[in-house]
Amino acid sequence: MTASAIGASRLSRPPGLMLFLAVLTAFLFGPRSFAAEPGDVTSGALMMRARGGDQVVEAVRLGTDIDMVVSGLTVRTRVTQAFRNDTKHWVEAVYVYPLPDDGGVDTLKMVVGDKVIIGEIKKKAEAQAIYDAAKAQGKKAALVEQGRPNMFTNAVANLGPGETVLVQIEYQAPVTVSGGDYSLRVPLVVAPRYTSPGAAPAPDAHAPLADPRVQGKINPVTITVHLRAGFALAGVSSATHALDVRDERGGKRITLAQGEAPADRDFVLTWRPAPLAAPAVALFHERVAGGDYVLAQVTPPIARRTAAPAARDIVFVIDNSGSMGGESMRQAKASLDYGLAHLKPGDRFNVVRFDDSLTVLFPTVVAADAAHVAKARTFVAGLDADGGTEMIPAMAAALKDSPANDAGRLRQVVFLTDGAIGDEQGLFDTISAQRGRSRVFMVGIGSAPNTYLMSRAAELGRGTFTHIGSTDAVEGAMRQLFDKLENPVATNLTVTFDGTNADLAPAVLPDLYRGEPITVAAKVGAMKGALRISGMIDGKPWETRIPLADAEAGTGISKLWARRKVTDAEVARSLAQITEDEADARVLKLGLDHQLVTSQTSLVAVDKTPSRPAGTPLTRADLPLNLPAGWDFDVLFQGVRHPGADGQADADAETEVAGLDLPQTATDGPLLVMLGLGLLALGGLLGAGGWVLSDRRTAA
Amino acid sequence: MSRLPRAATRRLAFLAPAALAVAVGLALLGQGLWIPTKAALAQVLLERAFDRSVATGRPVKPWPWADTWPVARITFPRLHRAVIVLDGASGQALAFGPGHVAGTPNAGDRGTAVYAAHRDTHFALLAQVKPGDEIDVERIDGGHARFRVAGAQVVRWDASGVDPHAPGHTLALATCWPLAARTHGPLRYLVWARSIGERTPRA
Repeated sequence: MTASAIGASRLSRPPGLMLFLAVLTAFLFGPRSFAAEPGDVTSGALMMRARGGDQVVEAVRLGTDIDMVVSGLTVRTRVTQAFRNDTKHWVEAVYVYPLPDDGGVDTLKMVVGDKVIIGEIKKKAEAQAIYDAAKAQGKKAALVEQGRPNMFTNAVANLGPGETVLVQIEYQAPVTVSGGDYSLRVPLVVAPRYTSPGAAPAPDAHAPLADPRVQGKINPVTITVHLRAGFALAGVSSATHALDVRDERGGKRITLAQGEAPADRDFVLTWRPAPLAAPAVALFHERVAGGDYVLAQVTPPIARRTAAPAARDIVFVIDNSGSMGGESMRQAKASLDYGLAHLKPGDRFNVVRFDDSLTVLFPTVVAADAAHVAKARTFVAGLDADGGTEMIPAMAAALKDSPANDAGRLRQVVFLTDGAIGDEQGLFDTISAQRGRSRVFMVGIGSAPNTYLMSRAAELGRGTFTHIGSTDAVEGAMRQLFDKLENPVATNLTVTFDGTNADLAPAVLPDLYRGEPITVAAKVGAMKGALRISGMIDGKPWETRIPLADAEAGTGISKLWARRKVTDAEVARSLAQITEDEADARVLKLGLDHQLVTSQTSLVAVDKTPSRPAGTPLTRADLPLNLPAGWDFDVLFQGVRHPGADGQADADAETEVAGLDLPQTATDGPLLVMLGLGLLALGGLLGAGGWVLSDRRTAA
Repeated sequence: MSRLPRAATRRLAFLAPAALAVAVGLALLGQGLWIPTKAALAQVLLERAFDRSVATGRPVKPWPWADTWPVARITFPRLHRAVIVLDGASGQALAFGPGHVAGTPNAGDRGTAVYAAHRDTHFALLAQVKPGDEIDVERIDGGHARFRVAGAQVVRWDASGVDPHAPGHTLALATCWPLAARTHGPLRYLVWARSIGERTPRA
């Protein structure tokens, strides 16, 4: 059937169209373009655009050096990259760098051609004005702005042919802790290349592109990690690269086993505390500009449950609105079915489905016995995606708690949706006002659920957000979620300081599940007294005290604290707890005080070139930064052109094209019509044949 | 008299499956024809909702239980055809009209605006679109953007190369490829068009 249909289509396709497409495809794949705010740039990349043209090429990366210092729970990363404009044109260069979550850039140094540029944090508008003025005077200048959190771009105009760009940025980020493992990730993979949509061939379309095969060889990455974990290590490993681990003063020095590696995959480093050395409590202290900052991490002693779990009331909510049609609905139904199948004896449950209407399956929560579960599974299996998305009444219905006889039972709402609604604020308000003792677990369905809505709703509902991206992922993700639902949690967590005043970030602590640590940063008035963390674990009160005097020295804590305060302010803004102006003012103050690029502050790069006669080449002494070990100043700046860098565009680049997923865009209509007509013809033939045959025999 | 029932029995052996085939055939035919009919009928309602959206400046649902609403009208002046585009490109929306793919800008805004529709209903006309054709997009916010077709390409759905944030003001219309096939496949046909001035005034 398939083969014949495709054969038929080949025959029916106009022959001219094939040729036309072949030509166009070739022409469209020729030039590559980039985005100034690309979503998929996963590594520092310098893009160059010739003046007046749309053609964009990625600069040849001569080398990347990454130097990281881990101090307990923070990582200070310094990335140095060198690029060269191997085109024959004056170009505009755009440097793009992604950061890990919660990372904050505070330093940027660039050497552009023979100019030295150092970024300074200024108020956004002020930075813009300085930049515009410098540009108007014909000076080289650069402006670093935060487009979206964790992504910044920096444009530099007038990069001459053959000129080298050296970029060094520094950022502060927290260490990731999960299930007792500590880890950090460095994005190294080059951005996927984009076709230039419909770009007409500009006169300079033949600007040489960096050949990825050549670039692979000339884009070596060296990585050095100075690991000061703050505890005895059981092991250091990397799932991505072979390591060379040596002892050094204060900790370990980790480099790549081969010395350098091609930038073809991210670097992940994981370290594990020795048994019993596992710090249930870690406390670090930093004194910056007269302020004392502490960073505390505590893993609440949540044991795996051995006795029967507390009885639960689970309300499943499933979105069967039209936007869930197709794959999303299958995922949602499979997820809900998993949940129903894994209810335990003693649990009670209910199912709510909604589109623009609402059905609550049982009048109240019912025991999870075979009959009720079977009824619910049949109900779910019969759902079709149709209609509008009225999420708020559904959330309200799910949160509606029966007033009596429920003490000691956990109440959990599992909410499956793609989050395609407009009134996000209304949903947040509903959860805040009506959550009571319920915990809301959002399950995001489909390839692009509204993650903002989901994570915020889960946070307000003191639950978690689980993302299910494909039907294959349903089982794994739901098992993880149910593991959380069944194990005890630490709730109502609060952090207080005895003996000193403190400004905490984050201000509100989420519930914690087994293996998850509390991490809190604070600005304290004085380093005396103690930090007290209290909460409820599995219904029993729990408290721990850490004297501040026990704190070890750490670095970058103030910046981490400031970054979290910025996040707190942005959250308060999105929840309309503070006005836009107030949020802007808070973020601005944090950005200026702690020298961070934020939505209100930018790094403006001022030309700091020492005055030297025009035409005099740059010298090593002019560099604002130390070149990484093994980097040769002369090779870098006196320019040895790499053979092959002038090569033609690589046709293989097509295979790297990813980009937006396109929806399924064919109906079953033509197929149904064809099958219908076929069956009609068959019926006609059978009928006529039968009539004729039987007539003949009758006659005989 | 005794022969007639035998003849009838013999006929029945053919007529019963024949009747079944005809019945199923009619049902499938009806279902198959209903898809384009629904697609065409919906456009009438969508046209009305679109005009009201432009008039009121707010999205108007074409029918009360709809999960989507018109966001733009795409006109192909040379072909004398126009379609109303819906918000989102879920299967549900695409049954009634082309969908504006979530995560891409509106036509005329910076970046690459992507609209998708079924190859056998609303975007069957892409087969006739040629480079140099003009495509006009009117938005419900009153914005109006004009584009000129630059070319077309065939891509896999998961390797489209479409970058919604690419520089410039670009329009991409997507449908399934091959255009005349009857089964689903991984290939998509993309028509690229570039803005030819008339920046959209923001409402």
